[in-house]
Amino acid sequence: MNLLIRSVHIFDPGSPFHQTIKDLLVADGRISAITDHSEKIPEGSTVISGEGLCVSPGWFDLHVHFSEPGFEFREDLQSGMAAAAQGGFTGVLCMPTTQPPIHSKSEVEFILKRTAGQLVEVHPAGCITVNREGKELAELYDMWLSGAKAFTDDQHPLRNAGVLVRALTYCKDFGGRLMVYAEDKDLSAKGQMNEGPSSTLLGLKGMPALAESVMIARDLQVLAYSGGALHFSTVSTAEGVALIRAAKKQGLNVTADVAAYHLLLDDSVLSEFDTNYKVKPPIRSNIDRNELIAGLQDGTLDAITTDHRPLDIEAKQKEYDLADFGMVGLETGFGVLNTALKDKISLERIIDAIAIQPRRILGLTTPTIREGSTANLTVFSPNESWTVTRSALKSRSANSPFIGQTLTGRPVAVINGNRYAIL
Amino acid sequence: MSNLTTKHLLGIKDLQKEDIELIFRTADNFKEVINRPIKKVPSLRDVTIANLFFENSTRTRLSFELAERRLSADVINFAASSSSVSKGETLIDTVNNILAMKVDIIVMRHPNPGAAVFLAKHVDASIVNAGDGAHEHPTQALLDAYSIREKFGKVDGLKVAIVGDILHSRVALSNIFCLQKLGAEVMVCGPETLLPKHVASLGVKVEKDLRKALEWCDVANMLRIQLERQDIRYFPSIREYVMRYGLNKSLLDSLDKKITIMHPGPINRGVEITSDVADSDQAIILDQVENGVATRMAVLYLLAGRVE
Repeated sequence: MNLLIRSVHIFDPGSPFHQTIKDLLVADGRISAITDHSEKIPEGSTVISGEGLCVSPGWFDLHVHFSEPGFEFREDLQSGMAAAAQGGFTGVLCMPTTQPPIHSKSEVEFILKRTAGQLVEVHPAGCITVNREGKELAELYDMWLSGAKAFTDDQHPLRNAGVLVRALTYCKDFGGRLMVYAEDKDLSAKGQMNEGPSSTLLGLKGMPALAESVMIARDLQVLAYSGGALHFSTVSTAEGVALIRAAKKQGLNVTADVAAYHLLLDDSVLSEFDTNYKVKPPIRSNIDRNELIAGLQDGTLDAITTDHRPLDIEAKQKEYDLADFGMVGLETGFGVLNTALKDKISLERIIDAIAIQPRRILGLTTPTIREGSTANLTVFSPNESWTVTRSALKSRSANSPFIGQTLTGRPVAVINGNRYAIL
Repeated sequence: MSNLTTKHLLGIKDLQKEDIELIFRTADNFKEVINRPIKKVPSLRDVTIANLFFENSTRTRLSFELAERRLSADVINFAASSSSVSKGETLIDTVNNILAMKVDIIVMRHPNPGAAVFLAKHVDASIVNAGDGAHEHPTQALLDAYSIREKFGKVDGLKVAIVGDILHSRVALSNIFCLQKLGAEVMVCGPETLLPKHVASLGVKVEKDLRKALEWCDVANMLRIQLERQDIRYFPSIREYVMRYGLNKSLLDSLDKKITIMHPGPINRGVEITSDVADSDQAIILDQVENGVATRMAVLYLLAGRVE
């Protein structure tokens, strides 16, 4: 394998070549040379070139649902990895929303065995509690030893604050990080979308921003009490951002991410009851959206995720109230977040949020762009416009509202060791 | 203008003011028809209409069915309780099965907001929304505005208060859109727990005090407390609701003007309004019912014109 990436703008704050335009030669899974541009092409190399081409450490998505085992009709590990590669990601953290859930060593090992040695590294997240029921702690330490990189019950928030205290305290010994989704289910009740003028117009039951911020406030107080490390997944409200910002100032070990679609959309997109926009947390108001972008800019929100949640057509093509929450996002993730952010946040910070911070949060080594280091790279074209088609999605599911829409920015190639894909 | 700008009647939100005026002019003709000794016209002969009711309804279904029969349409009725819905069939499949039997217009009542919009996207027929959850109930709003127009000779410039359970009411939302399009000023009044948090964004006045609302308005539309739709308690008791929001004759008589009282029915007598208010000469509740048939005839007639 010989790959020559020509005249490529390097984005890697950990590299001496950061913010330079070079030719990159990848041979046998390593970055063998970083040189000034030359017309000479080493024999037998595949050339990747193009207008305004950029390269960064391979992207990492902190929040994907691969549905295997249990829901293979929506996604399986193979199709999930294909979708991740198509979206420019060389690593993902997959949620334990499987059946059975990833709540013991054997499920962790199942995921790792089924995905070993592939282009996309799949790291499992284990459950905090058995069956994600919020009652008994799962075998956190055993899962951690087996390779679980974080613990979460995903969208089953811990109602019982005592369980959160015990989980945080227990994980401190070995440095495990909890990821929580903040929603007070009594406040969001049977809500179907963000509560606001849009929900009033549509007669849909609203989920107030309060349902998120009340829970974030509670969880932060618990964290201050018990210590440990806490990560908030898919923060969606202005109040949530403010609370996390204050907690970081206070010195709590807290991190957070935001879903790409929350950066681009506001809740007026639901005017036609399109269930592909039905997600959790719900698409919020424009005020929330702007605060999320501000939070990303100042580092309150560390990372951006795609919240890739595949759903079959039967779960989506139905009356709005009855449809499931979630959209697929891996393949469109960069296009969506880049379209939302390109005139507002530096590309350097965007790359930080999708390549550097996700690995830092999980304690994984961040690949760097240096001569001799293992190649773990995403090549991308931030200014290229493209129209999303069903065939551009490698996921088994097509629950994306972006099909037919034009986005700016797309990945061009992913390289991880000896494996690569030109997209 | 002799045609509606839409193929469906999904909500008042999508209608132009001209559409509403066309429906009213057409309803004027049908109102004259249904007061003749022979109340039937052959306008929709050979048109087949299916009434799909996925939620209980007596008066709306009867009103639609009478409107259809007086237009000489062929009518089939379908109620969820007797249907395949309980066997797990999807809405699209259910409706496509009915359409395969050559049905032209679907009238649908459904518990979920947006159900009519969803159906219109996925099946090939004209859809009339007969109420979708807490979203819209366009024919109710049309008949209400039509009744106001009949009483006052106009809608423009009038002040209409909608009182009661705004949160669970599709009637309120459609009424607000309809009255605003016709130039009326709208106020909502009720306990704050029964008002959507962002209701003011609809451009309505918000009033918590019933007396003040009544003093302000020309017309009070007293909505029914939809206990069947409240999965949690929004106020402590019916008794306390009546104390604060029940309209009785002494309150009505204490106003320094004669306002018009409306109610979409069915009335909980002694709750929203007392019997002597419902039966007073200020109430136009039965006119609303009569106008319901005429306006629904107008809507079906105009939509069928697009079918051909």
